[in-house]
Amino acid sequence: MAANKPISAPTAKSIASYVRRNAAKVKKSQRHAHKATESLREADYKGHHIVVRTTYRIEVDGVPLMGHMGVTDDGRVHYHPVPNASFASAVDLVKQLIDVFPDDFTSEGSSGHGDGHGHMRHSRRKRRAGRGRSSK
Amino acid sequence: MAVRFNILNNSAARDKYIQGVKLLKKEIPGPTTTSLGIAGPSQQVSTYDLFVVWHHLAMSTFTPPSQGDRNAAHRGPVFLPWHRFMLLQLEMNLQRVLNDNTFGLPYWDWAAAGELTFTKQKTSGVWAADCMGGSGSPVGIGPFAFNAADPNSWRVRVEANVNGQLVQANRGLRRQLGGAVLGLPGQNRLPRKAHTTAALTENTYDFAPWGVSSAGFRNQLEGWQNDPQIPPPSLHNRVHVFVGGDMSPSSSPNDPVFYLNHCNVDRVWEAWMQPAPQGHGRNYLPPQSAPASLRGHRLNDTLTSLLSGSTTPADMLDVSQRYTYDSLAV
Repeated sequence: MAANKPISAPTAKSIASYVRRNAAKVKKSQRHAHKATESLREADYKGHHIVVRTTYRIEVDGVPLMGHMGVTDDGRVHYHPVPNASFASAVDLVKQLIDVFPDDFTSEGSSGHGDGHGHMRHSRRKRRAGRGRSSK
Repeated sequence: MAVRFNILNNSAARDKYIQGVKLLKKEIPGPTTTSLGIAGPSQQVSTYDLFVVWHHLAMSTFTPPSQGDRNAAHRGPVFLPWHRFMLLQLEMNLQRVLNDNTFGLPYWDWAAAGELTFTKQKTSGVWAADCMGGSGSPVGIGPFAFNAADPNSWRVRVEANVNGQLVQANRGLRRQLGGAVLGLPGQNRLPRKAHTTAALTENTYDFAPWGVSSAGFRNQLEGWQNDPQIPPPSLHNRVHVFVGGDMSPSSSPNDPVFYLNHCNVDRVWEAWMQPAPQGHGRNYLPPQSAPASLRGHRLNDTLTSLLSGSTTPADMLDVSQRYTYDSLAV
């Protein structure tokens, strides 16, 4: 198994060239969004075929989460944008998302959705927060 | 040939790594946010940040697209060869900007730090001001500390948002060392030596169903295996979770600690692949004869690339002509 192909030494020019060729893949991945994702688990037991379809529709402050969510065979929930952990509770997972993505969960805000930096910010409305607007 | 050193034992490798990633952060090869479909005003994307984009792309690519679990770099057999490919590309770019063909990526032996008390894990050598700097939002000490008035201080420019899309940013690096994670039993500690040595005793690289519930070496090292002695997230995953902040989302290469973690993961894999009796040989599963439902993870499948040509898991099994480690004692 040691017959590996030579790897070309990179240059700034070669990087620009390869990225230009592969940019469409990145653009395509930017278009992925899921208001609801279905997770499919299948198993066979004593001659019976089991299919479990789980659909999550999650909102925070009325704004849907659009990333891909799945359930593993042991029932733990994982969310694609937080790739290194899974959770026994979907609620705990969403709380963790609020901690991991502080810029997407501003304390208040009409400045949120689709701002100049492309964030889909979730706003905690004044009437819920009971406090004034804070920065960003 | 490069030698990869423990970053805590070799100050020259440490300093060159810091110098090199800062040079790649400044290098502008040509691609822009607009050319990559990242919303907002068009900005140049540095070579360093293109690695962030690449990692996110691989993570966003389901392999095959008909399922929603395994992706092009994680949650399946390709986890180790894909990251070896990524590290090799970064290492070659560091060699180029440092003008040093013998430079080797340093690694962080996080299992050694895991032997410390929880409090000391958060202040151990790798977090010193002359190494990676410490915790904070933003990180306030060390070579990657944020200074709003200094345009040359380390800045996160491309990140993943909560919806799994790349967005622009202009802020300092974030870490939350050992921070609480909801649902995680006990303290958010680093893995220990007992965990890495237990992984080495796994005789087989991977097993069906080739995912996060698989037995075998890959899944143990990636950190999904539900072993009562090593509850998930463990090993590689636990290091991401322990560091927190920018090490949490799919844009985790924003933190230079990402490469120190994965270099150690690669070292553990290399130790596992040593000939018997020390290791288990350069064996990989699944073979190319496996069904198309495993496309992207079979021995001769093409690895997802962005800023270079591609390669295969088979070509990543023996790279001993490119680099060695100063030690395979994990």
